[in-house]
Amino acid sequence: MKIVVAIKQVPDRDAPVRIAANAKWIEERDLQWAMNEPDAYALEEALQLKEKHGGEVIVLSAGPERVGSTIREALAKGADRAIQIMCGDLGARDALGVARLLAEAIKPENPDLVLTGLQSEDLGLGQTGVILAELLGLPHATLILHVEKTDAGLKVRRELEEGWFQSVEMPLPAVLTMQSGGNKLRYATLMGIKRAKTKELRAVNAAELGTAAAPVATLAQISAPKKQKSTQILSGSAKEAAAALVEKLKMEARVL
Amino acid sequence: MMNLMPTATEPLHFALWERGLFAVLAVASAYGFWRRFGPILKKILQSKKDPDFHVFPIGKRVWDFVWEVLLQAKVIRERPLVGVAHALVFWAFCAFALVTLNHCATLLGVGFLDPAGSVGQLYFDVAAIFAVGCAAGILGLFVRRFLLRPKWLGELSWGSGLVALLIFALMATYLAAFFVKGPDAAVQALWWAHTLTLLAFLPLIPHTKHLHLVLSPFTVFFSRGSFAHIPPLSGDEDFGLVAGKDLTRLVSLQAYSCVECGRCMEHCPANATGKELNPKEIVLGLRGYLNEFGPRSEEPMLGKYNTQEAAFECTTCGACEFQCPVGIEHVPILVGLRRGAVNTGAWENSYGSKLFLALERGSNALGMSATERDKFVEKNALPIFDGTQEFCLWLGCMGAYDPRGREIVLALVRVMRHLGASFGVLRKEKCTGDPVRRLGNDLLFQQLAEANLEALAQNRVKKIITICPHCVRTIQEDWKEFGTPPEVEHHSEFLARHLGELSFVSGHVTSGSEETPAASGLVSGRDLSRAESDDKNEGALAPEQSRNEKIVFHDPCYLGRYRNVYDEPRQVAALAGELVEAPRSHERSFCCGAGGGLAFLGEEKGERVSHVRAEELVATGAGVVAAACPFCNTMLRDALAAHGEGAPELVDIAQLVARGLPEEE
Repeated sequence: MKIVVAIKQVPDRDAPVRIAANAKWIEERDLQWAMNEPDAYALEEALQLKEKHGGEVIVLSAGPERVGSTIREALAKGADRAIQIMCGDLGARDALGVARLLAEAIKPENPDLVLTGLQSEDLGLGQTGVILAELLGLPHATLILHVEKTDAGLKVRRELEEGWFQSVEMPLPAVLTMQSGGNKLRYATLMGIKRAKTKELRAVNAAELGTAAAPVATLAQISAPKKQKSTQILSGSAKEAAAALVEKLKMEARVL
Repeated sequence: MMNLMPTATEPLHFALWERGLFAVLAVASAYGFWRRFGPILKKILQSKKDPDFHVFPIGKRVWDFVWEVLLQAKVIRERPLVGVAHALVFWAFCAFALVTLNHCATLLGVGFLDPAGSVGQLYFDVAAIFAVGCAAGILGLFVRRFLLRPKWLGELSWGSGLVALLIFALMATYLAAFFVKGPDAAVQALWWAHTLTLLAFLPLIPHTKHLHLVLSPFTVFFSRGSFAHIPPLSGDEDFGLVAGKDLTRLVSLQAYSCVECGRCMEHCPANATGKELNPKEIVLGLRGYLNEFGPRSEEPMLGKYNTQEAAFECTTCGACEFQCPVGIEHVPILVGLRRGAVNTGAWENSYGSKLFLALERGSNALGMSATERDKFVEKNALPIFDGTQEFCLWLGCMGAYDPRGREIVLALVRVMRHLGASFGVLRKEKCTGDPVRRLGNDLLFQQLAEANLEALAQNRVKKIITICPHCVRTIQEDWKEFGTPPEVEHHSEFLARHLGELSFVSGHVTSGSEETPAASGLVSGRDLSRAESDDKNEGALAPEQSRNEKIVFHDPCYLGRYRNVYDEPRQVAALAGELVEAPRSHERSFCCGAGGGLAFLGEEKGERVSHVRAEELVATGAGVVAAACPFCNTMLRDALAAHGEGAPELVDIAQLVARGLPEEE
């Protein structure tokens, strides 16, 4: 099975995030970067499918130079080769724009399966994978925890609300967006890193993919969440205050 | 005096057939020795070179050789009775070298020591004294091995019995020569009895564990020399001890040197608590592997003679290596096997993966958000290190994220402030890499070490102080592979240096307990009812409490054996009460079970190491267990809680000191 895994590099969880001067995006200086977690699960699922059924795992990522470190991490964990779409303005592209880039890079590979995380940890739009499927003209399923290959195609397990799951059978080729937590991730190893040095990493310029188009959605502004405490002092006698408190717990906090 | 001394009789003439027979037997004996020893030597020499090995500086090697081999000090110190018995045998062998040469030379008529001459007689008499000692020693060792049978020695072996018999026979035949004065035939027969024993002994050496006679002096001399030193990997294809091809000369030499005395096993916390790991079997496993596959093999080592499970049960406490009388370095071997498994991805363990992933993406081994550290620093107004302060206070994962570890840090901070020592903490700090280093994840360790070294250099840190002996060790020794770490010390060393200024600890306590009748009543009441007092935890060692509080100090492995710091924390703890010792203390201290990354690997097989240690500490009758390591602290805390009522209070030595500080501080 030939599997393409689309991964995104996002600011590290522990990195201090500051808003850029134009308030359109974050300050990227001094940030540490990491692989988007749902994408890491997509990669893990792909590697396990390959270990079971054979084939090839190709990682694909769009972004500037720095994305290379995340790509090498994926190669170190077991991907066979990688394609990097060089583009310095990923933040300025909407989900459709990014999906177009990815789709153009994927098409010549003609894979059996495309996996990606269900959403990114930075923007969290949850759109890219789905639009990608549409652009590739492939069936897709979202929020996948587990993938099983069957004779007819795939059987996938989707995570629904409140502990419910749904099993779906679908044909191949297909696009799946993966939920975190379905597998145990593997750790990067020294041998993996050393072997990764010899693996193919092909860089493609975004411009060569010929997908420049005006974004349909533009990011107006980002802002940090405001911390606020709103302590209310309930006045009146103890009895009245207690009654008011119960009322608030019922109606406002909805904990009773 | 001279003529009163006994004289040994040596034969004067040998027939030609006797000379011929001796020549044939000597060649056969030497062949029997070489037939086995030759391939062993070849296997050792065929092993790959040790990447960081240097013979120089040679001073320490010579000293170790004199101390451990010639003086047998290590053998004697750790097991005095057995050690002396062994030393008697060893020294007799040394004394006998000349006697034996002369013995053979006599046959050719070129004996150089005349038993009747003054020098010869003196030498023969001295050798006789050694011979008596040796005979007694070997008899004692025989009784121990075959009658008392301590379990460390393992299965009875015919080889050991035979060797003991031969050594005894050698001594008996030597001593008999002092009493047999003729006829010539009897003297001749004695000479032959001694000679045949000797010739039978030689080929036995490489076939039994008595190979250590030949190898262990070299093993001790060529050992890496620094305790539990983890050597660097070399080249792009070195991932640790994966297969025979990864065995270095030192490791192979050590594998063949093992004398199977079982001291390592006796002191191993994993082995003592019902786990599979037995350090002796690890070393013998390597030997078995070398015998079957050789040092160039690609065959994986784990799963053959040694198992992955055993390798990952080691707490790296180093008790085995510390005890080993023949210079085997168990910790680098065990960590080497782990490196082989982790660096190639062969080790699958959900706890281990979780730890590695937490450190791949995050900053600490506890898997917490780094903002938790920021909040802790902010809330307690810990100054940020800016290059002007004397110390960089390294929090470590436990000090920054663990609630108990934080209390220790804050106690130290109060004491440092009181002493006027300037310090600051880094804005960001990553795990030193201790757990991943010991678990064998070289990739992650290198990343962490390099990131930290860079941060420390940027902040121009010259001196680090920390509450965690694991951080101390890793910063000082393990980081050296990737740069030059700043000076680092453990808080016990700092506190001990300021002992004179810590008088408030005892001073305050004494005045409270002796001069206030109410308080002293309380104190004596507590002292008498130590066992049943259950409310002591709140008030123990508060200023009004007794100086006579019994305190037992638990040596952390990484402070004691790894850093040779035993007295400093005791001096500090002694300020707050009367020190008592656990049965296993100082360099023989028993691990808490947390080292080697095991604190993060979930439930252990068999009994918990921490519970065994906690029971030992409880049995001392001390009201307070003083710890000096946040990992020991967390392990013992759980274990003491499991002990239930009457468990002593557990505090770090920094907390003992901070409690004596005047209120306003």
